[in-house]
Amino acid sequence: MDESLQRIVFERLQADGSLDLDWSVYVIAACNGAADLEATLESSSAAEASELAPPAATTAPAGAYLSSITVQGFRGIGPEATLKVQAGPGFTLVVGRNGSGKSSFADALEVLFTGDSHRWAGRRTQVWKEGWRNLHHPHPAMVEAVLLVEGSGPATVTRRWKEDDAVEAGVAEVKPHGKGKQSLDYLGWTEALVTHRPFLSYNELSSMLDEGPGKLYDALSLVLGLEDLVEAQTALSTSRRTRKKAMDTAKKALAPLRERLEQVRDEGGDQRAAECLAATGGRIWDLDAVEALTGDHTAAAGEIDRLRRVVVLELPAPARVAEAASKLRQATLEREAATGSGSHRAGTLASLLEGALDYHEHDNGSDCPVCNTPGALDPQWKNRAQDEAARLRAEAASWEQALGAERAAVRDAKELLVPAPSVLQGAADILAPEPVLEAWQQWRAGITLTAPEELADHLEKNSEPLSGALETLKLEARTELNARQERWRPVARDLTQWVKEARTASLGMKHDPSLKAAEDWLKKTGDSIRAQRFEPIGNQAIELWEHLRQQSNVQLGKIELAGAKTRRRVTLDVTVDGVAGAALGVMSQGELHALALSLFLPRATLEESPFRFVVVDDPVQSMDPARVDGLARAFEEVAQERQVIVFTHDERLPDAVRRLGIEATTIGVTRRPASVVELRLTSHPVIAHLSDARALVADSRLPEDVRRRVVPGFCRSALEAVFTDRVRGRRLAAGAEHAAVEKELAAANTLNELAAIALFDDKARTSDVMNRLNQIGGWAGDTFKQMNRGAHHAYPGALFKLVNDSEKLCKQVAHH
Amino acid sequence: MSALTSGLLAAAHSLLAYSDAATAGLWPRAAALLARQALEQGLNDFWLERAPGVEDSSRRSQLLCLRSYADEQLAEEASHTWAALSRACHHHAYELSPTASELERWMRSVTDVVDSLEKSRGRAEITSP
Repeated sequence: MDESLQRIVFERLQADGSLDLDWSVYVIAACNGAADLEATLESSSAAEASELAPPAATTAPAGAYLSSITVQGFRGIGPEATLKVQAGPGFTLVVGRNGSGKSSFADALEVLFTGDSHRWAGRRTQVWKEGWRNLHHPHPAMVEAVLLVEGSGPATVTRRWKEDDAVEAGVAEVKPHGKGKQSLDYLGWTEALVTHRPFLSYNELSSMLDEGPGKLYDALSLVLGLEDLVEAQTALSTSRRTRKKAMDTAKKALAPLRERLEQVRDEGGDQRAAECLAATGGRIWDLDAVEALTGDHTAAAGEIDRLRRVVVLELPAPARVAEAASKLRQATLEREAATGSGSHRAGTLASLLEGALDYHEHDNGSDCPVCNTPGALDPQWKNRAQDEAARLRAEAASWEQALGAERAAVRDAKELLVPAPSVLQGAADILAPEPVLEAWQQWRAGITLTAPEELADHLEKNSEPLSGALETLKLEARTELNARQERWRPVARDLTQWVKEARTASLGMKHDPSLKAAEDWLKKTGDSIRAQRFEPIGNQAIELWEHLRQQSNVQLGKIELAGAKTRRRVTLDVTVDGVAGAALGVMSQGELHALALSLFLPRATLEESPFRFVVVDDPVQSMDPARVDGLARAFEEVAQERQVIVFTHDERLPDAVRRLGIEATTIGVTRRPASVVELRLTSHPVIAHLSDARALVADSRLPEDVRRRVVPGFCRSALEAVFTDRVRGRRLAAGAEHAAVEKELAAANTLNELAAIALFDDKARTSDVMNRLNQIGGWAGDTFKQMNRGAHHAYPGALFKLVNDSEKLCKQVAHH
Repeated sequence: MSALTSGLLAAAHSLLAYSDAATAGLWPRAAALLARQALEQGLNDFWLERAPGVEDSSRRSQLLCLRSYADEQLAEEASHTWAALSRACHHHAYELSPTASELERWMRSVTDVVDSLEKSRGRAEITSP
């Protein structure tokens, strides 16, 4: 965006306190372009305040007046012809009959600077484009203009065509004073030529109002330089629209997905489907939940989980069951064998012997406590009994071992008799686990058995029925699970994809409130800046219209640029006979044209325009006589500050200028056979003043004393005009600042001061003026003295001589 | 405003206001003529008081001199109005008659100019153009 505009936006943000609000960064980013806005939104980080510092002001291209236009071999002009215009503010009329070549100058000037002409921008393109070369003098073709540029002085702009070049192939170059040749861009006018277009032609003006309100809006708003603001607005609204669209797409995509989820839920009672539906049912989606539900490694809840747990149920392997049974039997056999071989008796006998030995040892018994045989317990017995007891004790230990082994086998076998897992009962709503439960209950019932033999029988008898029932149930569960997964997986896959989109869309929508605030603010501010910028143009247009409307009963009130995009338009507050009415419809062609001129003349003469000149071609067509008077006075007004060059074939405009006593230079254009175009100065303010003076001298009925008082004033006006031209010519050629020149001229209060500036370039050297004039001749000094005495004194000498001497003096000064 | 001046303007106004078969088609120019006479009468009155004799000179001279005897804007307005009325008075085959509103505007100008001339008659100063 244009930096000065950016600064204005920044200052406005600052002024209404919006700079502190979060969305202000988006306004600034949008002003930097759509890419910057997207980047800012993406990073989501508030741009640093330092980045938002107001940008510095830019310099406008230098202003320029026209000094001359030279044309050769272009349209109506054959051999080289030069139109010289007085540089500086003023009104120059170029008058010639149709076909005299006058419009060729206007056209050539436009082609010189823009490479194109409005004349052939229309329908008749081909005809015009082919006919741009002069018939009599097709080659060389050249257009050249001498500009007086502020700050640098004269610059010559030339466009030349080679022999076979089309009109757009001409090459332009600029030769600034004291520098080498440059490209046309050197002037820096490219943009201004569009925005402040200083060329106004009848064709163009009348088409402006015909081509619809949008076109008129564009033409008028271009000058305001606010396209970048519109672009920033567009960036914001596009960004919002894109986000909204993404959200709409996500919403639209969700509807069929939800339908599928409902189907899955209803068909298979899939909990995930129900949960996904719940997560996406509200205004705000729980995308994390959906993502978790659709993920691959998710602990699935509910039925799927139960089915999965049924599928993974395992019983002890049949081999293990068989082994347990056989171990039981083996242990029982071994224990029985131990019992049978007297292992039990051995223990008892060992205990008995050990008791007897103890009795013998501690109580010195020698009689058998069992059979009362006296003296049976003797040392020999003791030796024998000790050996026997040890042998019996060992025998008893092997029995106990067999018993322990049998108990362990029972314990091990009972470990296999696990209770039915709760999942079976839990899956009763999906599967039919009753047979398994029954078999399992049967299996588990073995826990109460104590006899190893029975236990082994129980294992062998119940293992197979249980595992058979369980396998059947597991198969059922697996089938069910697969069916559900098959229904779910495609939905889950699509949901996963959708979650990605929805997440992006949701993230995008997060910015929507801020973007909307930024958009609203920028729109409001843009309208306000536009209105503010357009106001001076609108006001000047209304002023010009007052001149131009003359007897028209159409009154122009406020002019505004309204609407935006396709509904943009220029609203003209038009009242007809005091009644507010339909605007353009009620106006005549002449009125419309005058209105267009009122609208576009201010555009071309805005302060910031580098063009100090405005070229108007053929403005008089279809105007009523009275409006021509108004037109002349409108130009007179614009010419106070601008160099106004008007081309016309209509006698009425120079007529009006003459009649109304408007200061203007008139140049006549005539065309001889073979396109030889000649220009002649036919009227000039100096000539006009002197001719007025002569008319007064010649009027014999005018009282002598009045004549003697009045005539010197007209002579003085003539000399003032010459001095002014001289000052402007010299200063502007030296590249002086245009406004400063006008200020200096306006500040010259006396003829002496003006003369001092004109002659010495120094307002203070008034005392040298007479000396210098006397160097020209005594008559010159005398004449100047008489002019200076003003109307307070009657001139005593011969009036016709005074006028003649004045003319002579004017010529001398002009060519000095 | 002298009785003669206001009488001429009143006559011009009545031509605009009332349609009459006798003046049909002629009234715009007739009204312009009367209005111009009113302006010229105002100028005569002005000169008789400020610079007797000037009223006998050509209108161009009078209007040029006026720049020295009255303020520039008034002189300009007088010139413009006189020029516009003169054009309306002369019958040009190719030009259309002035419209009623156009004439009204000019007649308002005449009234303004004559009133202003009357006010500045008292001043004896001659201003520089």
